[in-house]
Amino acid sequence: MTIRALEKISVGQNGIGSFILQCKRLDIHYCDHSGSSRGMNAFIKTHLSKFAQKNPAIEFAVSPRPRKHPVMIGHYINGRQKSICVANMEPSQILKKAELLRDASGDKVKRVNKPVTSINESVRGIWSPYHGNGMAV
Amino acid sequence: MSRSLLRSLFELRAPSTSRPAAQFKLPARSLSTTPLRRNSPTTTESTTAAAQNATAPSSIPTNPTEAASLVTESRSQTPQAAEALYPRIPQQVNPPTSESQATIAQLLPLLRTQPAHYLTAHIWGRPYLVTAGDQIRLPFKMPGVVPGDVLRLDRASTLGSRDFTLKGSPYVDERLFECRATVLGTETEPMRIKIKTKRRQRRNKQVRSKHHFTILRISEVNINGPEAVGL
Repeated sequence: MTIRALEKISVGQNGIGSFILQCKRLDIHYCDHSGSSRGMNAFIKTHLSKFAQKNPAIEFAVSPRPRKHPVMIGHYINGRQKSICVANMEPSQILKKAELLRDASGDKVKRVNKPVTSINESVRGIWSPYHGNGMAV
Repeated sequence: MSRSLLRSLFELRAPSTSRPAAQFKLPARSLSTTPLRRNSPTTTESTTAAAQNATAPSSIPTNPTEAASLVTESRSQTPQAAEALYPRIPQQVNPPTSESQATIAQLLPLLRTQPAHYLTAHIWGRPYLVTAGDQIRLPFKMPGVVPGDVLRLDRASTLGSRDFTLKGSPYVDERLFECRATVLGTETEPMRIKIKTKRRQRRNKQVRSKHHFTILRISEVNINGPEAVGL
């Protein structure tokens, strides 16, 4: 008697039943001295606490990185990460980048031409020339 | 007709009436992306068997300002802002003819009993043929929504099952179905670089563009019976 795997009945898809945000952690790096971090330091002081309150699903890690440009790194459920250098940006621009990292799925960006992707079977079936009443030519 | 009726009776595997409802329904807030300027659309539906509907609904307006639809409840961070962005526009329904009333009363229950359903939902004037569980990549970034928001799509031009199709002209009555979509997030595409050249000039110009797209997941498609419109 061989052991058979259980047949998969359903495939989990995000957004059906429950929704899970794909971004799980956001690393925020800044420097105290260099001028390129001026906007980032202002962002941390003014915008970050509000943004973190609005997004309780994301873990925010703020850490200094001396003598380097400020960077935000988003970590995603699929294991990938996405990093954005925010040197010399205004706090409002940095907020936009943070929203971009939050909204991203973490997948590699690729061109998609079809608007709808589906794993369901075709509802109306596949047309066959051998069934039905036929067509008079 | 009799063949399709028979098949619909055989296919009573998963009647939609016994399907469990969604686990949690958020309180319905009325929002819609339909702008105020609309021609009065005639909303008479006609149910036809699948074999008969060779003609496509021809009167669907292609202007996005007329044919937009959507959005109801959400747990958006700023509901007031979302409501201002997407004010709820009720659908203008012309009274259906007695013939279409009769076909809805007779054939819509059969459509409901067939297991799988599809609908052609219109979002900002574009049609998307979807079933429950599909993912839509909108060709734009929808303003005012955050991941996790639930939108109610309330404009559809067709509802259908395997053998039956309900066509609206241009839209099906919004009380006949419930379609909800969850906002999954925003995706983008690789940078496009278009090289612009001019004749007899040595310079080339690179034009860069990168678009952002909102991703939706159809979380729910329910079709209501004819009693929803009082038949």
